[in-house]
Amino acid sequence: MSIARPYLGHGIGLRPRHIGRLLAERPPVEWMEAVSENYLAPGGRPVAALEKVRRDIPVALHGVSLSIGSTDPVDVPYLRALRALADRIQPAIVSDHLCWGRHGGRYVHDLWPLPLTEEALAHVVERVGEVQEALGRQILLENVSSYVAFRESTMAEWDFLGEVARRADCGILLDVNNIYVSARNHGFSAAEYIAGVPADRVAQFHLAGHSDKGAYLFDSHDAEVPEAVWNLYRAAVARFGPVPALIEWDDHIPDLEVLVGESRKAAAIEAEVQGLRAVGS
Amino acid sequence: MQRLFHQLATRAPGSEAIDPTVLLAGTPSLDAHARIGIYADMFIWRQIDALRDDFPKLALLLGDAPFYAMAEEYLREKPSRHASLSELGRELPDFLREWSGEGARADLAELAALEWARAKVFEEANVKPAPPERLRMMSPDALPLARLRFVPALRVLDLAHDLQPLWQALEEGARPGPPSPHRQCVAVWRKEFDVLHAPIDDDEAQALALARSGEPLGTVCEAFAQRSDAVEAAFRAISSWFVEGWILAEPEETP
Repeated sequence: MSIARPYLGHGIGLRPRHIGRLLAERPPVEWMEAVSENYLAPGGRPVAALEKVRRDIPVALHGVSLSIGSTDPVDVPYLRALRALADRIQPAIVSDHLCWGRHGGRYVHDLWPLPLTEEALAHVVERVGEVQEALGRQILLENVSSYVAFRESTMAEWDFLGEVARRADCGILLDVNNIYVSARNHGFSAAEYIAGVPADRVAQFHLAGHSDKGAYLFDSHDAEVPEAVWNLYRAAVARFGPVPALIEWDDHIPDLEVLVGESRKAAAIEAEVQGLRAVGS
Repeated sequence: MQRLFHQLATRAPGSEAIDPTVLLAGTPSLDAHARIGIYADMFIWRQIDALRDDFPKLALLLGDAPFYAMAEEYLREKPSRHASLSELGRELPDFLREWSGEGARADLAELAALEWARAKVFEEANVKPAPPERLRMMSPDALPLARLRFVPALRVLDLAHDLQPLWQALEEGARPGPPSPHRQCVAVWRKEFDVLHAPIDDDEAQALALARSGEPLGTVCEAFAQRSDAVEAAFRAISSWFVEGWILAEPEETP
């Protein structure tokens, strides 16, 4: 069992602010990622933009509502709608988060962390199987930023993430910023996290900015990628090799040129790290 | 575990009595109460922001604090049951009919209904409208028997208030006047990707309802029978349906 790892290069998120330009121009990046839930509607301007972008470049669908760790049953109508979208768009990647966000039929529209236990692991693995069966394809699961740790947790997050990927035969979307944020919030080593994730399962990176709230870091996606996260990205590229990397920016979204500049910086760092590896080999 | 976390992170009634340290570990710089509080704040703010996006005029009319209070009450009563935030406001117009908090007024629910219709029309299927020339190309014999098919991005609201002065005041940043009781039908539609709305006469609304239910144009035109210029009025109305892109293209009209 393995995960398909198509190399797409460096991309940015498809966000409403830039839809006008994207409908008029060819996207100035190698690929784009769309938040799946924003495109489940039958049509409208965003759907037209997604379809137009897809005609020009590869697209990934990134969900926020799968709630893979919830004790609620999997939301079958949601999965059907996601399958229909994926069949229509033919994305290179379909992903969501290793978290939960639905309880008693109620969506919280947030990415709540899971207790890192054998019981939770078995539960998630079973549900990933159900989801991959329904979608007819493998998915990637992303590590989330977290602010709480459960007393009952018995394993490190990177071991939990790696085991889910191995046992469920899914891929990992490694959010480098989330590793940095959670490492600060919980006092673990980000380098140890990178070293602990199974290299053959990592099929995508996320890069983003965060806010320093003093007592904790907040995963705000509202700023440029900070230097500390770029450094962690260097370590990730050194360990995992060239993996499609995406700049996430969801609040106070800047001009398209700023996002493109960030994605070019990711490309330059990847080249730099690969060059260093070649020099050192 | 998930039940307890959900209660804490949604600040459900009675959650004040739950000790989060039973479930969560804290640190000296950030204890378990503060940590779960981060989630509780995000839970409410994200959803209120989504409602503000779908109901911008309602938010403007109520003002920040009353809108927040109203939205929080709504979300407690009608928690989200859909994967997409775009469905969060579906029950808000009905909720507002009975709501009596700060800023409540007789036309609030209808303003919300209008904004909801605009939000839904925005995301209806992208289809090709019929060319306006089609009406002129129909032979006089065929016209009374013709049936029209409509694009999905069209709604007609039957309102008890004239919302135009309120809408305009909110657009211009002027002080809104009191509710204006006046029964009115309002069409909401999308032209290309622009969402529009406008009042329509009662007889046109009746004609539109007949046409959308599949009646032939001969029957549809009878809705204008009370007018002295019935034939001209019917032609003007039906022509405008084509011009505004309400009529669906036939397969042969699609490239």
